[in-house]
Amino acid sequence: MIEVAGLTKRYGAFTAVDDLSFSVQPGEVLGLVGPNGAGKTTSLRCIAGIIPASSGSIRVGGHDLSIDPVSAKRSLAFFPDEPRLFEYLTVRQHLAFVARIYGVAQHERIAQPLLEEFEIADKADELPGALSRGMKQKLAIACGLLHGPSVMFFDEPLTGLDPLGIRRMKDSILQRAHAGAAIVLSSHLLHLLQEVCSHVLILKRGQKIAHGTVAEVVDRFSNGEANVSLEEIFIRATGGTET
Amino acid sequence: MLRALLYLRLTSLKNLLWSRLRRLRQPKYLVGAIVGAAYFYFFFFRGLGRHSGTPVPTIVPTDQFIPPDTAPVMFAIGAVILLAVTLFMWVLPSQSPGLSFSPAETAFLFAAPVTRQALIHFKLLSNQISVLFQSLFFSLVFNARALSGARALHIVVGWWLVLTLVNLHYIGSSLTLARWFERGVSVARRRSLFLAALLLLVAATLAWIWPKLRAPTTSDMVDVESLARWLLTVLDAGLLHWILAPFKWVLAPFFSANLQNFFSALGPAGLLLVAHYVWVLRLEVSFEEASLVQAEKRAVRRAEIHAGTYRFGRSTPKARRGPFSLADTGWPEFAFLWKNLLSTRSFFNARTWLVCAAAILVASQSVSRIGYMQRNVVTLVGVCALVIGVYVLVFGPLLARLDLRSDLANADVLKTYPIPGWRLILGELLAPIAILTGIIWLALLTGASSFHPTQELPDWLAPSLRYTYTLCFALLTPVIVALQLLVPNAAAIVFPAWFQATRTLGGGIDLMGQRLIFVFGQLAIILLALIPAAVIAAVLIFVTQWYFGLAFAVTFATSIVVLVLAGEIWIALWWLGGRFERFDLSSDQRP
Repeated sequence: MIEVAGLTKRYGAFTAVDDLSFSVQPGEVLGLVGPNGAGKTTSLRCIAGIIPASSGSIRVGGHDLSIDPVSAKRSLAFFPDEPRLFEYLTVRQHLAFVARIYGVAQHERIAQPLLEEFEIADKADELPGALSRGMKQKLAIACGLLHGPSVMFFDEPLTGLDPLGIRRMKDSILQRAHAGAAIVLSSHLLHLLQEVCSHVLILKRGQKIAHGTVAEVVDRFSNGEANVSLEEIFIRATGGTET
Repeated sequence: MLRALLYLRLTSLKNLLWSRLRRLRQPKYLVGAIVGAAYFYFFFFRGLGRHSGTPVPTIVPTDQFIPPDTAPVMFAIGAVILLAVTLFMWVLPSQSPGLSFSPAETAFLFAAPVTRQALIHFKLLSNQISVLFQSLFFSLVFNARALSGARALHIVVGWWLVLTLVNLHYIGSSLTLARWFERGVSVARRRSLFLAALLLLVAATLAWIWPKLRAPTTSDMVDVESLARWLLTVLDAGLLHWILAPFKWVLAPFFSANLQNFFSALGPAGLLLVAHYVWVLRLEVSFEEASLVQAEKRAVRRAEIHAGTYRFGRSTPKARRGPFSLADTGWPEFAFLWKNLLSTRSFFNARTWLVCAAAILVASQSVSRIGYMQRNVVTLVGVCALVIGVYVLVFGPLLARLDLRSDLANADVLKTYPIPGWRLILGELLAPIAILTGIIWLALLTGASSFHPTQELPDWLAPSLRYTYTLCFALLTPVIVALQLLVPNAAAIVFPAWFQATRTLGGGIDLMGQRLIFVFGQLAIILLALIPAAVIAAVLIFVTQWYFGLAFAVTFATSIVVLVLAGEIWIALWWLGGRFERFDLSSDQRP
């Protein structure tokens, strides 16, 4: 579903992501983790087709992102850490706009259940300015899910959410994964990894430190000790420093 | 305490200047600074100091920056303008609290053990820094040539006095109004009271000067000097003389003829300054709460400008119906048109255009039955409409930014849409194209229907040909507007760092230079794009008019020009779309 081979992103002499390779199959949730500046967001933006990679190949839903970006993007949804909404469009108008962009016929049939699932149906005629941070996040997610993507990218999905919102977001991610979506999320919240992700990829200074299922990564860095916390595993894997 | 606050202000100023100097190491700022400096040199400084050698051609003698015969009129008109500004402050005050503090100042100073008086002094001194800069700037802009003469002191001190007093009066009036509000005087009641007082004052003034007042006669209108004499008599009559007196005191140092007059004029002006200072200092009114609200608004605006979402003069967003019904499937370009039309004023819709067009046509029909003089007036209206149309064509695309430029903050999301780049950019351009074309078409319609020549015109301006020209201009309008809009949008994608820099807060000669480069670059590119089309049009009209007549020749040439320009637009869209797909704003944000 997502195949990344030799992904490299350079900014002049600075290499933000260095020769990164991995794949995500349907139903898997891959957590990209690493210290600040490790290249998590840059990797995610490259794989979602937002910024061009300097080298390497990325296939999304069977389409090469550099050769056929339009087909690749038809099957994906990207959710930035800050919900990016159009301030003059109401909730309902956002969904109508996105439906036209993706060519979703009779979109209201899909939109209404989404609004109800995210508990913003009563705000359908409100502008983003009248919504709380959590509601904006929900609207951005509803827009992303409208065309039924099979590949999803979440950048720090829990930023700004209250405890209830966090719980709902985790459930929503898991629900989409169980329905067969391939999901990549970047976060530095380790409890999110533990509860949601099936796989983990640890990055440091743009390079892959570890990759595998959560159990495999824990095994690798626990040095045979029992009950080592994920936080300890992360510190051991990254050396406990940002750089 | 005041020393600490002064340290804050002066250190901030020093660091600001230092950071501006340091950023000149980047070529984009250095080039901007060179262009900005060249602009200042050629427009303001070139004349300075040269009059001592070869005489510089100036409108007025360099030692007298205002011709003696016009000085009294300008003095009186200046006083009237100051009176109007003062009245404006009371009748239509701004929403700001008078004493504006930055978010950092409110965070650090309001909670600190600083007296209220110290805070006011700090703000007054802070304002003085910008007032001093403004005084120098205005002196350079308006009186540059006189600055090298003996009047330099009059000019700079004169501007400083005017600006300081306006600033102090603004603070004083804002705080006074805030105090009245605290005491329960509502905004509506206050406004009614002011308007009533104003009307009373106008009535009293008129009653006083009415016996002496006479309408201007033909002899008063013979030349500017006679008109000026009449105006001076009116402005110096009765109560008006006394009302304008304080404002004349403020202006007197600026207009004084020699040093002796200048120093004696400083007395009354200085007294006014002291009175204002005491007034502001003694006003016991809470400004902290309003300052906090204002600081929050400033922080939001700053963040919006940084994100590229700020739009000057926009209204508060309100939910409303879409401009047209958007089907679920079809060309995605129309989704952007629909979205961007929603972000602008609701009256930009097809119904408004049709109503306006109908009104213009009805008015033009009724005009055909009016007399000679009225026809001249109507023709003048038509000419004005055409001038407005040209203005919109040239400057509209720079000002109407409801396209990709205002959506760059959402570039992350836009780039995940399954649309080729060129179609996305085309979609983003449709709304401003539609709006600007609509305005220009209305201007053309007004111009064409209001043109009622009162004398014989050459054959090539016969009515049928005039309508042909109008139709041809109407056909050309959307393609020229599209071409004009493409340039600033291309600049935003091709030179994102430059584009972002021109949107940052604050000024500086380097940023001014960058903006100048953008404006001149836009004009140069448009001219370059229009040259092939213009050459083809000229050749076609010259060749075909002999065989098929001028009307056909112009129409045929216009059709070809539209095709040529449409081809250029398509090529530009295709190229720009590719650039947008590879566009990486983050790379320009890196050091």
